[in-house]
This record gives sequence, C-alpha cells and structure tokens, in this order.
Amino acid sequence: MPHLSVNERKTLLALRRLGGRASVSDVAATSGLIDAAVMRATLSLTSKGLVRVHERGMNVVSITDEGLSYAKEGLPERRLLNSLLKLGGEARPEEAAKHARLNEGLLQIALGWLLKKGWANLYRPELRHPYHVLSTSREQPLGEDERLLSLLSEKGPLTVESLSEGLRKAVEVLRRRGIVNVKRKVERELELTEEGWRLVRRGIRLIEEVSQLTPELIATGRWRDVKLKRFDVLAPGPALHPGRAHPLQRIIQEIREVFLEMGFTEVRGPLVETAFWNFDALFQPQDHPAREMQDTFYLAEPSVGELMDVERVKRVAKVHEDGWITGSSGWRYSWDFEEAKRLVLRTHTTATTIRYLAEHKKPPIRVFSIDRVYRNEKVDYKHLAEFHQIEGIIMDKGVTFRDLLGVMKEFHRKLGLRKVLFRPTYFPYTEPSAQAMAYLEKKRAWLELCGMGVFRPEVLAPLDVKHPVLAWGAGLERLAMLKLGVEDVRLLYKNDLRWVRGTPVCLW
Amino acid sequence: MPVVTLHQERFSELVGRPLTAEEMAKWLPWIGLDVEEVGRDYVRVEYSPNRVDFSSHVGVARAFKGLMELEVGLPQYEVKEGDIVVNVDESIGEVRPYILGAVVKGLKLDEDVVKELMEMQEDLHWGVGRNRKKASIGVHDLNAVEPPFAYTTADPDAVKFVPLGWAKEASLREILAKHEKGLAFRHLINWALRYPLLIDKRNEVLSMPPIVNGELTRVSPRTKDVFIDVTGPDFNAVTKCLNVFVTALADLGGVVESVVVKYVHQELISPDLRPSTVRLRLDYARRLLGLRITERKAVECLNRCRLGAKAIEGGVLEVSIPAYRIDILHEVDLVEELAIGYGYYRLKPKMPATITVGEQHPTSKLVNFVRQIMIGLGFTEAMNFTLTNEAIHYAKMRGARGKPIRLANPVSSEYSMMREELLPSLLKNLADNVHESYPQRLFEVSDVLRIEPKAETRSERRPHVAGVSAYANASYTEARCIVDSLLNNLGVKRWKIKATRHPSFIPGRVASIYIGRKKVGVLGEVHPEVLNNFGIGNPVAAFEMDLEPLMKFKR
Repeated sequence: MPHLSVNERKTLLALRRLGGRASVSDVAATSGLIDAAVMRATLSLTSKGLVRVHERGMNVVSITDEGLSYAKEGLPERRLLNSLLKLGGEARPEEAAKHARLNEGLLQIALGWLLKKGWANLYRPELRHPYHVLSTSREQPLGEDERLLSLLSEKGPLTVESLSEGLRKAVEVLRRRGIVNVKRKVERELELTEEGWRLVRRGIRLIEEVSQLTPELIATGRWRDVKLKRFDVLAPGPALHPGRAHPLQRIIQEIREVFLEMGFTEVRGPLVETAFWNFDALFQPQDHPAREMQDTFYLAEPSVGELMDVERVKRVAKVHEDGWITGSSGWRYSWDFEEAKRLVLRTHTTATTIRYLAEHKKPPIRVFSIDRVYRNEKVDYKHLAEFHQIEGIIMDKGVTFRDLLGVMKEFHRKLGLRKVLFRPTYFPYTEPSAQAMAYLEKKRAWLELCGMGVFRPEVLAPLDVKHPVLAWGAGLERLAMLKLGVEDVRLLYKNDLRWVRGTPVCLW
Repeated sequence: MPVVTLHQERFSELVGRPLTAEEMAKWLPWIGLDVEEVGRDYVRVEYSPNRVDFSSHVGVARAFKGLMELEVGLPQYEVKEGDIVVNVDESIGEVRPYILGAVVKGLKLDEDVVKELMEMQEDLHWGVGRNRKKASIGVHDLNAVEPPFAYTTADPDAVKFVPLGWAKEASLREILAKHEKGLAFRHLINWALRYPLLIDKRNEVLSMPPIVNGELTRVSPRTKDVFIDVTGPDFNAVTKCLNVFVTALADLGGVVESVVVKYVHQELISPDLRPSTVRLRLDYARRLLGLRITERKAVECLNRCRLGAKAIEGGVLEVSIPAYRIDILHEVDLVEELAIGYGYYRLKPKMPATITVGEQHPTSKLVNFVRQIMIGLGFTEAMNFTLTNEAIHYAKMRGARGKPIRLANPVSSEYSMMREELLPSLLKNLADNVHESYPQRLFEVSDVLRIEPKAETRSERRPHVAGVSAYANASYTEARCIVDSLLNNLGVKRWKIKATRHPSFIPGRVASIYIGRKKVGVLGEVHPEVLNNFGIGNPVAAFEMDLEPLMKFKR
C-alpha cells in the first residue's frame, strides 16, 4: 500500500461512498474537505494511479441580485395576484399595486406577466368607464419559474443539465427576465481507477497525522487516534553545547583522583612566596642562576615578606654557608637575610610542600598539590609564564629510593603508562635523583614526565625533619598537550570556544 | 640546560671501541645525560649544570668508559713540576684577588678541539663562574710569551694592547667601552681605579681578566703548549674551574706542568689535581637506596663511576673524588654515584608498607561543588592566568585603578600584575570568541590575589567564582536567576541581594550579594561602554562572588 496522507484517504473514501465517480464539489461535500484540499489530494492520487479525472463542460444557473429579492418576496405578478384576491378578486390595477406595495415600474412588469400567464383579466366594465379593472377568479399554483427560483435560493447554483425539462425551460424564461444568470463551466469529475477500487475495498483507515505529541494528546488519550508523523531520522539537528569543565581541568581532576586513591592529602599554599621558602629552604644558593631576574618574577609591590622562625632561618643560613651539622661542604658564601625576604611568584609547588614538611613532623606524611606556578619566560608555543605543576611527597620512617621508584611506577600505571624506566638526573635539592621515562604506545616515543628524588640532608636538617622524604614533580601542561593532542601550549589557556566545545568531555 | 654534541667517530676513538650513534644514545642516559637528538653520526645530549666536566668529548668518554667497564676507578692525573712563576701584585687584592694557573704541553689540537675548549670555557664561566663574576678562565699559547708572568693592575689609560678579535691596540678603558666582551662584563671591574692585567716578562699583555685575552696569545690548531690562568674573587670557584679545565686537557693527551703562584705572603703550587676524599657509610647508602649491597660490590659500583674507594673500617668506605668532580658536597652525593654505578635499571621498584588516607583540600571540595553547579546551569568553564595587566583589569572595566600585587620585572606588558577579580578575563574570553555561536556562557572558579599586609607573604589568594552569559537576550534577570540557583544549591541560607552601583554595570541593573552581613559579590548587566571597550557585540549578564567567606560559613 502506497503511503497516503489523511486528505488523500478522505478523498478516496468519499468517492467510494459516491459510487466511485463524483464531481469535486460532491467529493468535497461528502469528505468535509474544502474543494482546494480535494484538488490537491486528487493531484497526488492521480500520480499514484488511484484516481482518474474527467473534465466536463456544463451550464450553471445562479440567481442574480434582483432575483434574490424576488425569491424572498415572490415574483411581482404573484404579489399582485395575491393582493387582488385579498381585495375581493376585482380592483383597479393601481389599487392592487398599492396593496402589494409595488411601485410604478414593477406594476407594469407585474401586470404584463399576470396577463401573459392568464392569471387575471383587465377590462373596462363599461365602454365609457373611466378606468380599467383587474379581475381574477381563483388562486394559481406555483409555476415552474417560481419553483426554480426557490430552489436556487435554497441550494445555490445548479447545473442546468441536472434540471427537469420544465425547470430547464424556466431557466430560459427567468434568464431573459434577468432573474438568473447562466454560465458555462468546466466540471471535474473524479473516478476511482481499478487500482483505486482495489485499495478502497481492502479498507482505508482514516487517521489524523500529527508532528508534535502534545500534553493534550497524552492527557486525553487522543494520541491513540492520530498518527505521529514519521521524521527523517537521518537529518542532523542543530549543534548543542553542553555546560562543561575546561579540558585542562578534566585532566587536573583525573590526576587528583589518582593521588587521592593512592592515599595522598591535598595541600594548598601561597602563590606569592618569600625567596626563603621558594629557594633558600631548598638549598638553592642565593647566586644560583635560577634565582636571577630573568627566570623568576619578583614583586614590586609588596616587595618583601616576613621570615617567621628566626632560629630556623639561621639554620638554613648555616647550611648554605658551611653545611652546618649535616656533613655537607655547603655552598661557601655569605648568606644574605634580605635576599631571602624578597617576595616572588613561586616557581615551583615545592615551596608549598616544604612549608608543609616544616610544620608537620609526624610520619607518615603523603601530600600532593596540582597548582599554579610562575616563570619569567618569554611566552611561545612551548613556554608559558604561568602554568601548573603536579607534585607529590612522602615522608616516612625507613622509606627508600626504591619505594620512590615503586610509587612512581604505580602513579604512571594509574595514568595509563605501563612501561616506565628511571634514569639518573640532577635536581638541586634531591639526591639521589631520577627522571622517569614513560613509553607512549600510541606515539611510539618516550615521554619524560616526572622528575623525582630524595630530599638532601641540607634541606631536611634545618627544618628538623627526621625521616627520609621522597618527592616528585611533573608539568601538567606537557601531559595535557599529549592527552589533548595540542601542539601549542598557549591554546590550553586561550579559552577558544571552538576548541573547548570541540574537545570531548571524556578523555581516554 | 647546557648541551654538547658528541660525534660518533671522535667519541668512539676516545672510548677505544667502535660505537654507533644508536648505541651511544642507548647508554648515555645511564650516566645522567639526557639525549636530545640522535643523528646519523652524532648524538646531542643535555647535561646538568653541576656536571661541567660533561661539556667535552673527553669528559663524557671518561665517564662512559667507567660505565661500560672499559676503564674503571679513579683517573690518575700527574702534574710535572714546572718552573713558571706567576707573581701576584698586592694591588689586585681589591679588584679580583685570586689567580691560579697551569701549563699543559704537547697538545695535538684541531679546529674541533679548539672550538670545544672554548665552549667548555664558556660553560665554566656560566655554571661555576656565575657569568665570570666568581671566576673566569684565560687560555694562552705559551710560546708567544715569556715567563715569569705578573698578575697586577694597571691604569685604564696607561696600557694598550690588541684584544682578541681586534686588529688594533686599544687602551683598557677603550676596550671596556667598545669591545663586545668589554660591554658585556665591564660591570665586574669598571668601579675600580686600576683594572686587572696579566702580563709577561716583557710587559706583553696576556689578558685583561675577566674581560678579554690579548690577540698575542690566541690559541690555534697549531698550538702545542698552553698556559691557563683562572682569576676571580672566589677562590673555591677559581680552583674548580681550573681543575675541570686542566683535567680535560690532560685527557686530551697533554702533559700538565705546575706553576708557582707567588702571593705576597704565600706561595701556591698550581694546579693541585690530587683527589679529595669523602667517607661513605655503607649502612647509610643501604638505608637510603633500600638496597642490600656488599662492601665489595659497593666498591665496584663506585669504581664504575670513576671514583676510587677502599674500605677503611667496619662498613665505611673512603671514597676518592677526582679533581674534575666539583659536584660532590656531601656523603649523599656518593650514594647516588653508587646507585648509578649499580645501574638505576637494576633497582627493583617496591611499594612503601605504610597505609595512609588521602583527603581533599577543603577549598578544592567547595570549588568542585561550585564547578558542578555551574556546569549544571549550562556554563562552560574557562581557565585564565592570574597574571594580567592594568588595561584589561581596570581601564576596560571602567574601574578606578586599584592597588594590586605588581611585578618588579614583567616579561611583557601583557603581564604586569596579579588579578583581583575574574570577570575581566572572562570578558576578554568573550571578546576572543565573537565568531563562535551564541549563547556563550562561561564561568571560572579559581584564585584571585590581593595585598594583605598582615600575612607572612603580604598577600593572600582567595577562591572566586564568576560567570558571564552573552547573547541577544541576556539581561539582569538571568544573572539573578543564576546567582539564586548557585547560592541555593550550595545550601547557603542567609543570603540577600541589595541594589548597588558599580562602574562596570548598567545603573539600575546591578546588585550586591550578601551572606549574612558580609558583602561577597556583585551581579548585573554589563555596561555597554565596557562591552564596547572589549569589542563584544552582545549584551552580557554577569556575576562574581568571593568563595572564601563560604569556607568559614561551612565550618
């Protein structure tokens, strides 16, 4: 069965009820559709071979404006006759016309037709009688012309060919009297084809088609009576942009979860830091190149901070100068208190973890931080002046370098990096130090992610930390660039909506 | 990090066995070098600034031979007694007091080696000499001058010589004012009345430390015998520079001869290439590494790192450190050497036995709740820098210039201060995205920084949240709905909205957010002038709120 619209179905059903062949107006009347809707349906039914259209010329008679008033009040001759009868069957024409409320013009018309139809006589009672008298003897039945008139006023225009012979003659009479019009018209008749008949015999269900399922349809249960229109399910919809976390934030959260699952506690420290905590406490000599202006952001306002525990500061100073009691040779220079008070934007999160260690001495300690750090770098596709560092430390009785390697292996495994090697490297405040190299299956390359080591005695002793401290750190952006397939690190902080919206929320 | 390019052929020759670039790249990381690039016949490696001895082929080869067990233990350096004297004039004491020297004879140099020596010299100047401040090196063709030498000072206008790279002679003052090196390093001596000078018997100038050598003693591939001077105000740095440099020349096949440095009150024989010794307690090493290692094995491991080692008493080794190893400060450094000699790749990772319970920072917890609500409200997260500038932060926002944390040495005009609010960057984000589809709803939940005179660091970081909604129908009502929803979903009870005035917002369409009696934020419809300033073509509903009071409120 071909797909049929509701109007097509209605048209076919009406045609069947009308015996298989009928005019458009009949089909319209039967189906309850307007003519134009029937014609539109017919057009597509013809193309489907279900309906054939016959065109037939015919005459249509309709009433004129003058005719309309006659239809209401009766033809003038009928009104004159009725008045005459009421006046006793005999009266002067003027008298009868006055009674019938006919004006002079209509009186002449009425008189003419009255006489012509032989409904009355007009005569002079005597030869010299001053006026004529109109006289009738009986009532007259409705003529064909009057029947036609009432039919037309009742039903509207009719085809001449469908009328009885008497009425057809009346059409001609009334047309000449200007009471009706006759117009030539082409009528379309619709006929069911063989195919159409087959279809209607099989039965057509008449169902309304609906695009939107409405609360009203659901509540009333009317959804059962309608057909929910079929949609083009392959057509794409308009783009939708859900609210979402920044791609970099997704990665931060993922790594935070790794740390938390591994039993690490999150710490948060100042972004503005004294040189003391950022450098001195980590045994970075005051003339170290990393402390120079071109590598570190110093502050103009506020420019110096406070060094809290004077004894602690003195111990740090001693370690720098001659190693204090640690057995180290120290850096052999004269340590400057003022230099240590200078405020910087912290260059690593170790400034925060070392602060934590100075305040928390009871083992075991496992803390981490994923937070902002700053370097006075020229910004380009590889470098930022502000970025994030990932850092973790463990302080515990009897932990060893091998424990550090074990924790790091697990940390990498949780990030999906199963193949990890550790090679020697150098960091100023750890010894031994190592660099983790993780193999990326997808890129077939080794990635250097985490630097690590055991804090030097010169770092721990002045802070009175009694147990070994294992530490590691990594750049977040480097990992993010790999995970997100970003080539230019600046993109991570551009908040380019095309990129943010286009990056999947779920990263594998 | 400094870099050195190792040529496969030369390196193989020094190691004494044929090696491919791949083989080099495979093994070099295990002595602590970071392979940057592997070419067909070369390998580029990065080395740590504390291992200046890695700045030459010979230095790397020395360590490599140990690792491969081709030559282990302490390298021996013989210093023949020489008769060259360097007289130190008393006047130098105030400018650049120390000098040490050495003679190396019988060198077979070529272009490559000369170039490498210069690079090594520069690495030492930077790494140990702190850009020539603490020490600087001069290398001279010995046969161009006549000993004894004098390390003295001279009047800037009285002496003239031809500096390296110039064709004409010039006075010391002229050199300082015009020579490339003079301009770079003049701050090290230009405050003195008389400038340092190294001259020979005939008053010919060897160098003007630490600025530039004389053209007279230029070293060329034909040079056989050299005189090396190292000067500086830091005797320790001076010694280190000399030792690293001379041992490299000795490994190149040169014969080292001593010089006598005559100070006013004492005489030094230089160079002193005898190894220093540090004791290593094996228990300490075992505990730190988590490695059960025998005394014999430990000695082997140290030997592979070119250190000498012998047991002196129960569980203690006396470790001899060659003169070029200037990075050993403490026993702990020897523990790492031991691990390197053992091979990091052979250390079995293990997990610590202690169990700990992890915990989020309370600020992160709150910030994550806020993030979750904002995402639920259909907002996209932005991440901006805390570094910003006055133009974006104040001028474009129609605000008065505040008193923010300012940088002393901004790298560019883009970053000159720390942000006090999040909204300016979010508006900048909208301006950068005008070609993307609307509505655009962005939020940020992150830190702002402020001066706080009572704090130890005279500053504080506070978590804020801010949001912007930009599209044709954005209005105050939307900002209000968002703030209501955010506060209610955070479970905040006593909050109020009060009408206010704010230069960044349209009058009559802006309000303050209060929690209890504390004003915590602002919301409203952004002023069209602000939108013009940023170049945003759509109305923007916005809000910003300090989250720090919520931290206290929660507790």
